[in-house]
Amino acid sequence: MSEMIGMTRRKDVVVVEDLQMVYRVSKLEVPALRGVDFTVKEGEFVAVIGPSGCGKSTLLHLIGGLLKPTSGRILIEGVSISSVSDFERTEIRRQRMGFVFQSYNLLNTLTARENIALAKRIQGNGHYEDGSAHQILRMLGLENKMDHKPWELSGGEQQRVAIARAVINRPAILLADEPTGSLDSENSRMVLNMLRELNSVYGQTIIIITHDPEAAATADRVIEMRDGKILNRVQNMFYAMEEKRS
Amino acid sequence: MFKLILSNLRQRPTRTLVSVIAVALGVALLLVSMGLSYGQLVDTVRRAQGIGGDFILQPSEASVIFALNSGTIPVRVQKVIEEVEGVEAATPILAKFLGDQFHIVFGIDPESFGRVNSTLSFVEGGRFSEPREVIIDTIYANSKKMKAQDPLQILGHEFTVSGVFREGIGARVLLPLTTLQELNGTPDKATMFFIRAKEEVALEQVYESLQERFENYKITKTAELQEIMMDSTPVFKEFVTAMVFISVTISFLIILLAMYSTITERTREIGILKSLGASKSYIVRLILNESLLICAVGVGLGFLATFVVIELLMAAFPTLPVAISLFWRVTAAAMAVTGGTLGALYPAVKAAGMDPVKALGYE
Ligand SMILES: Nc1ncnc2c1ncn2[C@@H]1O[C@H](COP(=O)(O)OP(=O)(O)OP(=O)(O)O)[C@@H](O)[C@H]1O
Ligand SMILES: [Mg+2]
Repeated sequence: MSEMIGMTRRKDVVVVEDLQMVYRVSKLEVPALRGVDFTVKEGEFVAVIGPSGCGKSTLLHLIGGLLKPTSGRILIEGVSISSVSDFERTEIRRQRMGFVFQSYNLLNTLTARENIALAKRIQGNGHYEDGSAHQILRMLGLENKMDHKPWELSGGEQQRVAIARAVINRPAILLADEPTGSLDSENSRMVLNMLRELNSVYGQTIIIITHDPEAAATADRVIEMRDGKILNRVQNMFYAMEEKRS
Repeated sequence: MFKLILSNLRQRPTRTLVSVIAVALGVALLLVSMGLSYGQLVDTVRRAQGIGGDFILQPSEASVIFALNSGTIPVRVQKVIEEVEGVEAATPILAKFLGDQFHIVFGIDPESFGRVNSTLSFVEGGRFSEPREVIIDTIYANSKKMKAQDPLQILGHEFTVSGVFREGIGARVLLPLTTLQELNGTPDKATMFFIRAKEEVALEQVYESLQERFENYKITKTAELQEIMMDSTPVFKEFVTAMVFISVTISFLIILLAMYSTITERTREIGILKSLGASKSYIVRLILNESLLICAVGVGLGFLATFVVIELLMAAFPTLPVAISLFWRVTAAAMAVTGGTLGALYPAVKAAGMDPVKALGYE
C-alpha cells in the first residue's frame, strides 16, 4: 500500500485523453484509435499488448510526437505535444524521449559507439553524466563490440545498442515498439532484463509494445488494446481510484 | 555530424567520386577557359601598351581587336596627328593576322616607331634595314628555336631575321611597314596609329584635342585599353557569362542528382535521426554540409586539374598567354559552392520534411 501511495505522488509523465486517430488513405478513412485514455507515472514500466492492427504503433507514434492525432490530447510532463509547434515538438522529442524499434534502426554507416555518440550529440541535453553512461554501456555487455558496425552484431546486440542509444541521455520516457519482436528467446530475455534494470535502477519510465507474454510479464502494468480501444478498463479504474484518493 | 557525413560519403564511394569529379570539371572548365581568354586579352593589352603610345587612333568602326580590319587609314594622316597640339609623335601600324600561324604581325615604320617607343631592345642582332628583314621577339624565337639571320616565311615570302627583341612590344613579329603594305595589297594604308603626347601636357587635354580633330576616328587611351577591350570585344562578356553559368549549372545539377538520390535511399536514416530528436534544421544542415564537402573537394581537385591542363598546354604551345587571376579562382570556387548548395537545397528541404514514421520503413 505504501508503494501505491508513493506511486500517486509521482509525476504524470504521459497523459492520454480521448485520443482518436483516423488515417486517410486517398478517400478511405481508416480509424486506428477510437478514444484512448490512460496515464503513465514517472518510473512506471507499462506494456501495451493487443492483436495486430489494433493501433499500438499508432499510439506510440502519437505519444512520441511523430504523428499528429485526429482529436484528443497527449500531455508529456504536462505539455500538450499535439498542439505545440513542430519546433517545440522536436525539442520535446529531442530532450525527453527515447525510441526503440523492432527493426533496431541503427545507422549502418556508423559503429555502435558512433551511433550512441551521435544520439548524445543530437540530444546533448545536459542529463548525460559520464558515470551513468558508462554504467549503461557496461550493462549492455558489449564493451568489446563498441567499434563494430551494426551488420557485425547479432540482432540482440543491435537491439541493446539501440536501447543504449535511446536512454543514453536519460530521457523522461522510453518508447519501445516490439523491441524483442525480431529476437530469439535468449536475446529477448537479455533485452528485457536490460529494460527492467533501467527501470528499477534508474527509475526510467518505459512504455513497451509487445506481443510477447514474457515481455508483458516484465512490466508493472499491462494495457490491453483491441480495435483502437483500451480493453482492461478494470485495471485503469483501479488506477483512477488511486488517483482520486491522493 | 561530420563523422556521419564522412561515413555516408565513404559508404557510396563511386557516387562521391563522380560528384567530386563533376564539380572539379566545372571549376577547371571555368578556370581554363577564363585563363586562356583573359590571357590572350591581357597579353594583347600588355603588348599594345608596350609600344609606348598614350593613345591609339583607329577607324571609328574598328573593334579594339587589332588587325581584323587591316589597313584603312592613309599613312599621311600621321602628319595631321602630329600637328595636333600636345602630340609629340605618331606612328602608323599595319596589323595582319596570319591565319596559318595563328598570330599577328605588325608592319612598323622604324623612324616614327622609334619616336613613340623607347623600350625596344635587342638580345641578339638589331633592327631591320632591308625590306625583306623582320625582327622577332624572345618568346617567338624560343618557341621556334630561331636566332638572328635565320630565314622566316611570312605570307609566302622569305624573310631574314635581323634581330631578336625582348618581348612585350606590339606583336611577336615586326616587319617594315612598306613591305607589309605591299604584301597585303594596301599601299600607304595603316590599321592604326600609336600616338605619344608631349610630357608637359595633360593627357586629358590632348585626348580632347585629338577627338575634336578626328571626329570620325576612334581614340583610345592606352591606359584604359583592358577595360575597353573587355567591353568591346565581340561576345567576350557573353562568353564569360556563359562559362560562369555552365560552371554553376554543372555543380548544381550534379549535386542535385547526387543528393536527391542519396536522400531517397536514406529515408530510413533520416527517420532514425528524427526519432532521435534531430530537428528539421539539423537534417537540412546535414545534407547541405555533405554537399559542401563534395564541393570543397571538387574545387580543390578542379584547381589541381586546371594547373595540370595549363602546364600541358604551355608545354605544347609556349607562346600561349594564360592569366588566371585570384579573382577567377575565387569566382570559380564560389560558383561551384553556390551551384552545389542550390542543388542540395531542394533535397535537403525534402529530407527535412519527410514523415518520420514512413521514413522508418515501419513493418
Ligand atoms: N500510415 C498509415 N496509413 C493508413 N493506415 C494505417 C497507417 N498506419 C497504420 N494504419 C492502420 O491503422 C491501424 C493500426 O495500425 P498500427 O500499426 O497502429 O497497429 P499495431 O497494433 O501496431 O499492429 P502490429 O501489431 O501489426 O504492429 C491498422 O488498421 C493499420 O492498417
Ligand atoms: Mg505495430
